[in-house]
Amino acid sequence: MNERIKNVGQAMNRIDGLLKVTGTATYATDYAIKNTAYAVIFKSAIAAGKIIDLDTSEAEKAAGVLAVITHKNAPKLNASGGIRGGALLQSPNIEFHGQHIGLVVAETFEQARYAARLVKVSYEKTDAKVDFEKHEKEAVTPKDKDRAEASRGDVETTFRNAEYKIEAVYDTPIEHHQPMEPHATIAVWEGEKVTLYNGSQIVNGAQNAAASTLNLKPENVRIVTPHIGGGFGSKGGQWANLILAAVAAKVVNRPVKLALTRQQMFNSVGLRQRNRQKIRLAATKDGKLTALAHETTTHCAINGEFVEPCGDCSKVMYDVPNSLISYRVVPMNIILPTYTRGPGKSTGSFALESAIDELAYQLKIDPIEFRLKNEPAKDPSNGKPWSSRAIVQCLKEGAKAFGWEKRKIEPRQNPQGNYLIGYGVAAGTYPARQRDTSATVKLTRNGSDVRSSIELAASDLGTGTHTILAQTAADALGLPINKIGVRIGDSALPPAAGSVGSVGAASFANAVNDACVKITDELIAKSGKQFFVRPTAAEMMASENINEFQTRVHAKPPADADKYSSHSFNANFAEVWVNDSTGMVKVQRFVAVTGAGKILNPKTARSQIIGGNVWGIGMALTEESILDSRWGNFVTRSFADYHVPSNLDIGSIEPIFINEEDTIPNKLGIKGIGEIGIVGVAAAVANAVFNATGKRIRELPITPDKLI
Amino acid sequence: MRPFKFTKVNDAANAVQTVAANANSKFLAGGTNILDLMKEDVMRPDELVDVTRLNLTQIKTVSGGVNKGGVSIGGLGKNTDAANHPLIRQNFPLLTQAILAGASAQIRNMATNGGNLNQRTRCSYFYDVAMPCNKREPGTGCGALEGINRMHAVFGWSNDCVAVHPSDMCVALVALDAVVKVQGTDGAERSIPFIDYHRLPGNTPQKDNNLNQGELITAIEIPKNNFSDKSYYLKVRDRASYAFALVSVAAALEINGNKIKQARVAMGGVAHKPWRATEAEKFLTGKEATEANFKQAAEMEMKQAKPLEYNKFKVELGKRAIVRALMQAMNGGKV
Repeated sequence: MNERIKNVGQAMNRIDGLLKVTGTATYATDYAIKNTAYAVIFKSAIAAGKIIDLDTSEAEKAAGVLAVITHKNAPKLNASGGIRGGALLQSPNIEFHGQHIGLVVAETFEQARYAARLVKVSYEKTDAKVDFEKHEKEAVTPKDKDRAEASRGDVETTFRNAEYKIEAVYDTPIEHHQPMEPHATIAVWEGEKVTLYNGSQIVNGAQNAAASTLNLKPENVRIVTPHIGGGFGSKGGQWANLILAAVAAKVVNRPVKLALTRQQMFNSVGLRQRNRQKIRLAATKDGKLTALAHETTTHCAINGEFVEPCGDCSKVMYDVPNSLISYRVVPMNIILPTYTRGPGKSTGSFALESAIDELAYQLKIDPIEFRLKNEPAKDPSNGKPWSSRAIVQCLKEGAKAFGWEKRKIEPRQNPQGNYLIGYGVAAGTYPARQRDTSATVKLTRNGSDVRSSIELAASDLGTGTHTILAQTAADALGLPINKIGVRIGDSALPPAAGSVGSVGAASFANAVNDACVKITDELIAKSGKQFFVRPTAAEMMASENINEFQTRVHAKPPADADKYSSHSFNANFAEVWVNDSTGMVKVQRFVAVTGAGKILNPKTARSQIIGGNVWGIGMALTEESILDSRWGNFVTRSFADYHVPSNLDIGSIEPIFINEEDTIPNKLGIKGIGEIGIVGVAAAVANAVFNATGKRIRELPITPDKLI
Repeated sequence: MRPFKFTKVNDAANAVQTVAANANSKFLAGGTNILDLMKEDVMRPDELVDVTRLNLTQIKTVSGGVNKGGVSIGGLGKNTDAANHPLIRQNFPLLTQAILAGASAQIRNMATNGGNLNQRTRCSYFYDVAMPCNKREPGTGCGALEGINRMHAVFGWSNDCVAVHPSDMCVALVALDAVVKVQGTDGAERSIPFIDYHRLPGNTPQKDNNLNQGELITAIEIPKNNFSDKSYYLKVRDRASYAFALVSVAAALEINGNKIKQARVAMGGVAHKPWRATEAEKFLTGKEATEANFKQAAEMEMKQAKPLEYNKFKVELGKRAIVRALMQAMNGGKV
């Protein structure tokens, strides 16, 4: 028997890379379907009140127009069917600026867009709550039980009596996901069945939400989404555009394509909410933490609660006997916030890890040493043992790779010409989980040529799902990787978890692996033979002269997984150069060390960490969505105003993975890397800015005006 | 996008006549700004006259007239070509730096020199048709005056408009005393000093510049100067590339002995037009080129600033930027 070539763990190119670079990978709008009409959404120009009158006559008469759909004539939908953010044209009520109030369907996109301008709307305005500063005091305890107050010990007394302590408020602004592929849908009806080509991080979630909202059976809704041009949480839940495409297609009795414009994306598909986080942190003189309070106030929609878990990192990062995590939320006339990369952890770690840095500086203790002094032996939030915890290794290996020993504890000690150079460190964490997923594996043989098709309703955001599943299957079946076909992104396939919350790789790959093991077992059993050395599925197909064979599994997390606390951890190191005249900041070097279990493909994993790091740097330095509180509109509604970092803002990024084997959370030992790359990044940059300049910026982003 | 007529022309006279004949007609050159504005329904021309075929792309030494020995840049040449032309790089590196500080490589490859002058403000109230804007729709009010005006003017604004001109290239051009060559409806050419080309908003913010309907920019001339070894364009922005200026400064010095013979200082991101910092220039003339003098010049210029609620930082940033740009200019324009 040949020595098997291992694919898992190899830095491999994406198997769908050629499709992507040749423009043949099909994204939501890339299906040429005969007789397609085009829908364009139009939106509310007020933030609160209702539509009094809506004159669509001119739009209806415009060239090419097939239908104008508003709350007056839209079909009745189930508004609580699982679509996020409302805006389903079911009533004249307006709850946020830019709420969808109708759509025009026409022969061409240009005709639809033009006609949408011709609709005349009159409103009755009511007072809109859009000024967070003004309404913050109205915040209440969230209904979400996962955001209930969590406390242990006595934070108040400990903090009051502490000699060394920090109390500070950290503000992070509204951010937008803005994936490269804006949200778009093609809807095609055949009788009572509808096919929706639509970027969906959770394929079955989109299917169920669409079915429920459209009052259809789930089997009558098919979601097709083999490739997704990013989502970052905004394509995790589904938004009204998915349904409105289906509604439009039904009304005009033709396939309809509906794509949001970049500007429309700012108030159509959720956002990362603004958070005001108050941290209180106390320690003994020698650096042992005694109290940690992390209290977050934020906003949600008028009729929909979402509160990102900013206190999550504070629950598990440090050994501290007295702890308080709490949330308050005020409903406002702003679109429903939603999961955004590293939800809660990215923003929460900015507050926590800045405060750790502040207290370390107060104590004149190196911030790495300070963290090491407060390592918890078990999960302080629930007393469970860690399945593994690589944070110490991350900090130590990172310090070595980065050259941390050169850092001076006092700020402004490292000038170079007109620049001030600073070093910063911050750590982070994200939970590791596996979710239920089914998968089918099919084998076909033609002479000596054995091929496999792996089929499940998984999704690939651009992160490399296709590739890691092919690697997993190739190893488990004993086939070369080019003999593996991966079919995902279709709700007609076996149901799967989603590419959300860093569960994708663990859920999908374990299911595929289980399926491949099972098909091999079944082939062996079918042969009735016994083997000293376990043969591969491919070998069994040949030896038993079988041409077609398939099996299906439903994979679940290990029964014992819940007895442990399983997390990825990281340590981030930033070197910033601050222009002392202008306040402009460049991240010259960034080192991110991650302990995230088994890394299936170091090449795609590296890309994912770099992507998370870049967004974290954007969070630190450039990204901010600004509302005009008089109208509730975003004034930053294009990429000219909403600044994601450019290449020139970022020097080198070096991701390093800790070799970690932990099969407690799942059989393959995969922890997931979708979120961890952004956690702790903004704090590392802000801490480096402090080290460079002596200025502690607690309100992101750190734009030049804050440093002059 | 509203339906519009698309007209191709093959010579400048025809272009000028066509646009002059229709008050709602616009030239289409690089299209990097007007097409965006039309898609957003901000501008609603009913005719676009495509001038991309006109032979107005040359960059050459001016052979006669008051700017003899200077350079002439074709109105329809691309920004990238202007930035990289040897005549510009060698004699007017300030202009090269300014052009390359603007937009992205892709946009600079499309955008024309004349179009750069005529681009509209990026004020987000101008761009959002749900918002009031006197520049877009006279009489509706200024959304930015009491709104989110972090990016807006600190010099020369009016209650009707606080927008800024977005160009970097124009800041260098106004510092270099450029002249805009324009072909009019009568076929004759007229020359507009750069400083008079753009307007302050006053009560007619809908007019960005002093071009008449139909007038076509054929060339931009820059007179010969002695600044090429002491000039610098400094742009301060929220990210290092592809962002409009919070404040920018074009600085150029001619030194005689240890004294400043001539100083040119212009600012971007601070006014409805590229802002010539004449107070600073006057102060510096005849002084020694020291940081202390640069600071005083900056103080004098920025003393006139009237910041708005969210752009107060531009006063201090403006001072720092003037000093830094002048220091860099003395350093030969090197970073």
